Amino acid sequence: MKKALSLLLASVMLLTCLAACGNSSTPSGNSDTPPATAQTGGAPETGSGEPAALEGEITFWHSFTQGPRLETIQAAANQFMTDNPGVKITIETFSWADFYTKWTTGLASGNVPDMSTALPNHVVEMIDADAIIPMDNLIDSMGRDRFYEAPLVEMTAEDGHCYAVPLYSHAQVMWYHKDLLEKYNLEVPTTWDELYEASKIITEGEGGNAYGTSVPMGTNDMMATRFLNFYVRSAGETLLTEDGKANLTSQAAIDGINYWVKVYKDCSPTDSINFNVLDQATLYYTGKICFDYNSGFQIGGVETNAPELLDQIDCAPMPTINKGDPQVGYETSNIPMVIWKNSAHPEICEAFIKYLYEPENYVPFLLSVPVGMLPALKEIADNEQFLSDPMVQKFSHAKDVISKAVGEGTAIGMENGPRPEAGLLTSQGVIESMFQDIVINGTPVEQAAKAAEDKLNDLFETVG
Amino acid sequence: MRLNNRYRTKIAGFCFILPALLVVGLLLLYPVVSSIFYSFTSKHLIKPGYDFVFFDNYIKILTDKDFWMSFLTSVRWTIVSLIGQIVVGFTAALALERIRHGRGIYRTLLIIPWAFPSIVIALSWKWILNGVSGFLPNFLVKIGLCQSAPQFFSSGGLVFPTLVFINIWFGAPLIMVNVLSALQTVPKDQYEAAQLDGASPWQSFVHITLPHIRVVVGLLVVLRTIWVFNNFDTIYLITGGGPANLTQTVPIYAYNVGWGLKQLGRSSAVTVLLLIFLLIVCMFYFKILDKWEKEGA
Repeated sequence: MKKALSLLLASVMLLTCLAACGNSSTPSGNSDTPPATAQTGGAPETGSGEPAALEGEITFWHSFTQGPRLETIQAAANQFMTDNPGVKITIETFSWADFYTKWTTGLASGNVPDMSTALPNHVVEMIDADAIIPMDNLIDSMGRDRFYEAPLVEMTAEDGHCYAVPLYSHAQVMWYHKDLLEKYNLEVPTTWDELYEASKIITEGEGGNAYGTSVPMGTNDMMATRFLNFYVRSAGETLLTEDGKANLTSQAAIDGINYWVKVYKDCSPTDSINFNVLDQATLYYTGKICFDYNSGFQIGGVETNAPELLDQIDCAPMPTINKGDPQVGYETSNIPMVIWKNSAHPEICEAFIKYLYEPENYVPFLLSVPVGMLPALKEIADNEQFLSDPMVQKFSHAKDVISKAVGEGTAIGMENGPRPEAGLLTSQGVIESMFQDIVINGTPVEQAAKAAEDKLNDLFETVG
Repeated sequence: MRLNNRYRTKIAGFCFILPALLVVGLLLLYPVVSSIFYSFTSKHLIKPGYDFVFFDNYIKILTDKDFWMSFLTSVRWTIVSLIGQIVVGFTAALALERIRHGRGIYRTLLIIPWAFPSIVIALSWKWILNGVSGFLPNFLVKIGLCQSAPQFFSSGGLVFPTLVFINIWFGAPLIMVNVLSALQTVPKDQYEAAQLDGASPWQSFVHITLPHIRVVVGLLVVLRTIWVFNNFDTIYLITGGGPANLTQTVPIYAYNVGWGLKQLGRSSAVTVLLLIFLLIVCMFYFKILDKWEKEGA
């Protein structure tokens, strides 16, 4: 009897264990539905020509971790589900870094969402991995000419298909603290040399209480690559050649490296050698540095961390090499949405994406980070609700500067179209390590640049 | 009938241990076996399919200068951290053993660093030692010990010792608690006998205390060697392996290859090499421990 009981107990334990382990690989609860279509293309129709009622469950991953953005997206999803009772949208939110880890690891097991936001470099990798579907039909059905052209071009692959629909845009411009400029009787710099001079004056004058600027070189982030790209693009060069090779030994790149090393030594906190984007931005938010280079998200950061400084900040176009040079290249980020190939309900994703662009959803979403997220749709530029927002009005100059920059730039390394090499250029910390090597070990700039260029080109072979 | 009963008993026993076997198999054996398998392939993190490349991954790693730099950094990191943790932990345990009242409170207070999650430790130290607004650098300037704020995480000469200090601060409490427990098992009459024979405190320590606790300390050294050598989070969260790769250890190197470059095959080869190295080190340790145990028996 005891043995029989033992056997029974063991069997129960085993079954419990197996039950707990089971059914974990079904993605998004979509196992009962047919596979995705190869291209987005409008809601399915009934035999009578009427659009069929949407039915099914989708998972939406996005990276809008801050409260107001999160809330506006959730509110839109809730309303969409009310309007379409057969639809369930599960929203999961991750930081960009977690999102990248999540989708790259989830791809092999099919554990990816139905739709998601993405960074431009992610889109390139997703296309390379054959993980997302073209969205031309959706874009055409919404009206291709309603979108700004540059973001669509940036997301168009070699096969001619556009794989993502831009949600919002922003560009990196030069931010400054007006009070620090006034304190030292300085004008807003328009060239790199002027920026250096102004930064040096402020750094020396503040005696460690504040700095002119900060040159972040942490290998956990892409900030040094970004800074070098600012300089190189203003000289009309690029960090990636047209055929996808690293370009760190051009005269513009060498000059840029020398420039930022000089700024680091003379005008930047020493600790910035390890800074990531948040370390850097925090210094600007709290008025510890006069100049920083970022998007309109700076406004929200200052408002949260030091609202008393909100009246003291503004932005200007990025400096140029010589006074009066035309600004030929900004770094822009067009944040898109994509539909995953694994999705069992691309028609729901498509309908929900269209719904997000309805003015009653789209404008509140953009205004959840005023001036930080600029519209991807041209018509919003004249939208009364958007323009009448107090923060948009207060920072109308900044909005104009960033809007102009958005039309003139691309993501880093994507000047000649989307390339997987652009992702490696920014994600491997090679340029950051190069800067650290020059600063810490005193390696000559040309030697360090050549070594970094060779290393990047070796890495690029892994994405061939 | 008797054989049948024995057979049933075996089945019942097997069923009882099956869940544990499954857990061990899934959580321990599967990752090890799959790592060894993938180390001979061109497995990519997000691209489907892979080819067998045999020893290509191993050759690439063993001819990579960065790997050897990371390996040396790992060895230095392990040895210095371990010595520091043992010295501090041992000293704290001996001091605690002398305390007659409130030992529990002190022990609880001293174990606190061990209770913190890595992310809290990393962010706290980054905040305390921040070169711009950190408390300690600015305090050192304020009291006149330094003319300018020391750059603990950005100075080539300071960053490694700073990380080692944090690791000692974090790891010493575990050594302390275990050594303290071991100290309490040493028979007190042996100390009294030694005292009667005129032994000095140092002689009592060397000839009574150490022989009694060396097996416990030896096992701690084995465990800590593995943990410290494999430590990833503290260094990665604080410096990311920088500046200029000065703090890049083998686990960070493996992470960069596997998750940065997405070369899972090559990253698996790094972890297999790491496993082989640690197995050799542990075999050496266990040989010494066996010898000590035989001497004590």
